[in-house]
Amino acid sequence: MNDHEFCEHLDIEVKVLHIWVEQRWLMPQEAEAGWLFEDADLARARLIQDLTGPMGVNDDGVDVAMRLLDQVHSLRGRLAVLMNAIRSQEPAVQKLILSSAEED
Amino acid sequence: MTSPYETLGVSRDATQKDIQSAYRKLAKKLHPDLNTGDKGAEDRFKAVSAAYAVLGDEDKRGKYDRGEIDETGAETPPRHFYRDYAGTADAAGRYESAHGFSDFAEGDDIFSSFFSRRAGGQQRQRGRDAHFSMEIGFLDAANGTKTQINLPGGGPALDLTIPPGTRDGQTLRLRGKGEPGRDGAPAGDALIDIRVRPHPLFATDGDDVRYEVPISLSEAVLGGKIRIPTIDGAVNVTIPPHTNTGKTLRLKGKGLHKSDGGHGDAYVILKIVLPQAPDPALSAFVESWAAGKAEDPRKGMGG
Repeated sequence: MNDHEFCEHLDIEVKVLHIWVEQRWLMPQEAEAGWLFEDADLARARLIQDLTGPMGVNDDGVDVAMRLLDQVHSLRGRLAVLMNAIRSQEPAVQKLILSSAEED
Repeated sequence: MTSPYETLGVSRDATQKDIQSAYRKLAKKLHPDLNTGDKGAEDRFKAVSAAYAVLGDEDKRGKYDRGEIDETGAETPPRHFYRDYAGTADAAGRYESAHGFSDFAEGDDIFSSFFSRRAGGQQRQRGRDAHFSMEIGFLDAANGTKTQINLPGGGPALDLTIPPGTRDGQTLRLRGKGEPGRDGAPAGDALIDIRVRPHPLFATDGDDVRYEVPISLSEAVLGGKIRIPTIDGAVNVTIPPHTNTGKTLRLKGKGLHKSDGGHGDAYVILKIVLPQAPDPALSAFVESWAAGKAEDPRKGMGG
């Protein structure tokens, strides 16, 4: 969807959207016709609305929250890949990795 | 059905401000996007949001108090949270951030590239790895050495440490010596495929080394101390009297370095050799040696 449709979904002004993109809380794809938004961007924008609206988080707080959240998701992604790799090993190897991890 | 007052944990006579602050506290604790892996958080957050949708609006709260609407009166439509998209191809490329684990990529082990490889979208791209190959001698590979490698394309020669026990086909990694990264991103690594030249004496068998060592007729008959070469220098070995060709000595720990820090073994196969030039005394003795003439080592081979 383009920026106008996106703003309509969220009931926000284009001006607000520009601030969010400028802060890099949203990173739409850039097409010749302008910004393109996906469902993921919409869900992300709703989170920003939750934070700034009813949850009372200010802009600096949103900035911190979004940065940490992106790190958490990236870590979860790598962890999931690693867990899948471990789970595809022989049970004996899995046990070895687990017991070695639990020693720490 | 719990009342929205119970859900938010406020009394019936709470002020709008109390209700808002109760909701804020719960929302911060329960928002699914702030509880990325907790499936239960979503249901609890929905209940709290539905309760707040009724009580947070004075008008709706009044209707609820008078029994004109029930607690589902202002139910919020179902929605997807960002956590449902995070990590999917849709969002990963743009919002993924390696900042949370770039320190994991600093190690020198095989996993460092696992944590530095993922760089999509607008992130900085690490330079590509450059591949080279190099041939080294058997003993340099077995005992380790320091050497230099000239990379094609010029540039100064790079110091390369060959660790002891390097095997044919092994790849050594020089971090940051590959192609430069774009926009100030780190350079890739140089990966060097090692070819080990075979040795005229030492043959490898896994972690072990096997080779043949000649002994003289006197040593074979009388036994004694002999010096035997190994991959890290000669050692003294005592052989018993009457040692025959084909006898194998196991020299413990004289094989190749293993990756777990131990060593393989050396298996030395002894082989009797006659003197280079015929010796009249030896010939005269064997001529007069009746038992030797009667011996038939091929007995039982047929023919």
